[in-house]
Amino acid sequence: MRFKKSLIAMTAFGAVLAMTSGAAMAAGDPDKDAPLAPLGDPPIPADNPQTPAKIELGKKLFFDPRLGGDASTGCIQCHEMEQGWAFSDALSRGYPATVHWRNSQSVINSAYLGKLFWAGSASSLEKQAKSAATGAVAGNGESDVMEARLAFIPEYRKAFTEVFGSEWPKIGDAWRAIAAFERTLIHKDTPVDKYLAGDKKALSKSQVNGMKLFNGKANCIECHNGAQATDEKYYNLGVPPAERWLEDGLAQITFRYELYAKGVTQEMYRKMKDDPGLYFRTKQKRDMGKFRTPPLRYTKYTAPYMHNGAFWDFEEVVQFYNAGGGDNDFTDGTMAKTKTKILKPLGLSDEEVTDLVAFLEAFSGPELKMKKPKLPPYAPLPDVAAAN
Amino acid sequence: MAGTATTGALAAGDGFGPVQPPKINAKKAELGKRLFFDPRLSGDAAISCASCHNPEKGFSDGLALSKAYPGSNGFRNTPTLINTSKRAAWFHDGRLGTNLNDVTRESLTEDYSMNMDMRLMQERAKQDPVYVKMFKDAGYGEPSNGSIRKAIPEYLNTLISTGSPFDKGTMSKSAQNGFELFKGKAGCAQCHTGPRFTDDNVHNTGVPNNPEIWKDPVRHTTFVAFAMFMGIENYMNIRRDVGAHVRTHKADGSDIGKFMTPSLRELKYTAPYMHNGMMKTLEDVVDFYNLGGGDDPTNRDVRLKALGLSDIEKAELASFLKALSGDKLNTEAHVWKGKFPAQYDVIENWRKVRN
Repeated sequence: MRFKKSLIAMTAFGAVLAMTSGAAMAAGDPDKDAPLAPLGDPPIPADNPQTPAKIELGKKLFFDPRLGGDASTGCIQCHEMEQGWAFSDALSRGYPATVHWRNSQSVINSAYLGKLFWAGSASSLEKQAKSAATGAVAGNGESDVMEARLAFIPEYRKAFTEVFGSEWPKIGDAWRAIAAFERTLIHKDTPVDKYLAGDKKALSKSQVNGMKLFNGKANCIECHNGAQATDEKYYNLGVPPAERWLEDGLAQITFRYELYAKGVTQEMYRKMKDDPGLYFRTKQKRDMGKFRTPPLRYTKYTAPYMHNGAFWDFEEVVQFYNAGGGDNDFTDGTMAKTKTKILKPLGLSDEEVTDLVAFLEAFSGPELKMKKPKLPPYAPLPDVAAAN
Repeated sequence: MAGTATTGALAAGDGFGPVQPPKINAKKAELGKRLFFDPRLSGDAAISCASCHNPEKGFSDGLALSKAYPGSNGFRNTPTLINTSKRAAWFHDGRLGTNLNDVTRESLTEDYSMNMDMRLMQERAKQDPVYVKMFKDAGYGEPSNGSIRKAIPEYLNTLISTGSPFDKGTMSKSAQNGFELFKGKAGCAQCHTGPRFTDDNVHNTGVPNNPEIWKDPVRHTTFVAFAMFMGIENYMNIRRDVGAHVRTHKADGSDIGKFMTPSLRELKYTAPYMHNGMMKTLEDVVDFYNLGGGDDPTNRDVRLKALGLSDIEKAELASFLKALSGDKLNTEAHVWKGKFPAQYDVIENWRKVRN
């Protein structure tokens, strides 16, 4: 019985393999890649239009730690302006007394992404904000208490009424305002954008050479393509598991918690030692260890890189690809064998590595900073007699 | 039918005897004790159960209104946990009428109490070798959130009143007179019956509103979050604690302002009094009832009437109430005296062992 089952599984797996490698062999390239292009304006959802008052409110809420369980952890705590609107450690800081389990991604240009989080578990910035504010190792807030807090901040009360027309702030509107603010955090004045728009002086000779490698020999364009420099698809590159899981009890707790909270079989809960990524969404073994291709703009400010922050600078990243990617529990058959066939040793020379790194740096322009807003205080509500 | 003789023996005849201790599984209770004092059972590891339920204060906190999880603040008085396992319903509004497992869950997970995701709590316990051994020794297998919610109630079973003058038969003459008033002229025994001196029911005695709740925006946010979650209508415009209405939701509002009759055991350690801590001393409480309770335009219990107690009678009644307090449960038998580690141990052979 068992033997038969595994035979079927192997057949199915073989068929997928054949399809993928067949296409790759035919063209050297599994799909048609949109060329890099200057970044346009981000899409604005019809049900959450941008207004100056909404953006201003969203900015304050983004910086306000009261939108979290113990009023210490708002969006900004894991998306620090001074740290690339991300967090400069391999794993994000997480809620007090916890550590997160993935690298914090930059908020900059998140407006362009169709799905948020490393495995694409949120389909909008509005939903991302809610998930981040409520997860036990992130904001650990509950909607009722966060909504109640907003009602006791007179400046917010007024702003929510103006922007959303409600008598009292609604927590769902807080996420909408935050998303509207995030849609203003746009980074497109980069050397790459200027070059692609026709300013041939925007890139150095080394960077131009790096771009040729990006589009050719190094084959980065296979996934980092189009205006966003991402295909928004999911791949297992063989990024090694987070070292911190070996060394830190707090990280081991969070790792098991995620397996438990996101829902895997009992046997997988017992055996899993690495982040199965997209598997959590699809529950398909073929998706184990896959993460979404990240966009490349602003990355100069957002080290470390990869879903678990495995690499600390661009050179490490390029050397990783030059070696044909790496190995993890989802490449070597421990849990699955899902490594993308796109990756092969690239044979880049030291000079080529330098050129590619130089080109990657050209995806970042001036650092995006702003004055932190002054957060409005709580005040008691008028008593009922006075209110009526 | 009761004579004027004294003491616990007679009291037992009236249904007032000592609180009978339940059977205890010592290993489970010991585990529950450690969990009760462990701040890692709250979301940000800032507070434990014992932060509000302090053994030095009869497992309450000495405050009119309790503290709460960081970022929130309490809107009710912390009740004692002594004899809690004997209750028929829990919290001042009696909203949980099931068991201490549910009470433990609610206290651990509510955003204003300990704000703990129990799945994370389980994984924290699994990371602590002391717990791994204690859960195993207690017969629970590996640490789990389910067994945490069994072990804490088992520890709570050990918090039983002992050694009060009332139980030992050593009440003063004044207290003995007070007991007679309690059962007779003062009418206290209409609600305060049985070994714990409570009918485990809810009543509206017109205890005055505590204005501190509405003056402090953080306390008020906590109340709003609670009221919202409990499905109370018009929660933004309420400036009173609706009490048992959160449990029974009566359309005519006749349950508004009703609160559980508290036990009268261990009052010596648990001031201030009432669900919102509005009364500082037992003398204040006696005065309150002597005047026929407080004002409530609609739902006040009709049995409350001015009692006409003399100053001596009032003093006797207060002295009886004080005679219901026994030994402080503050020794190692009831308190986890060990330290908790500042960091979690790392599982060294992480790659090899099963999670």
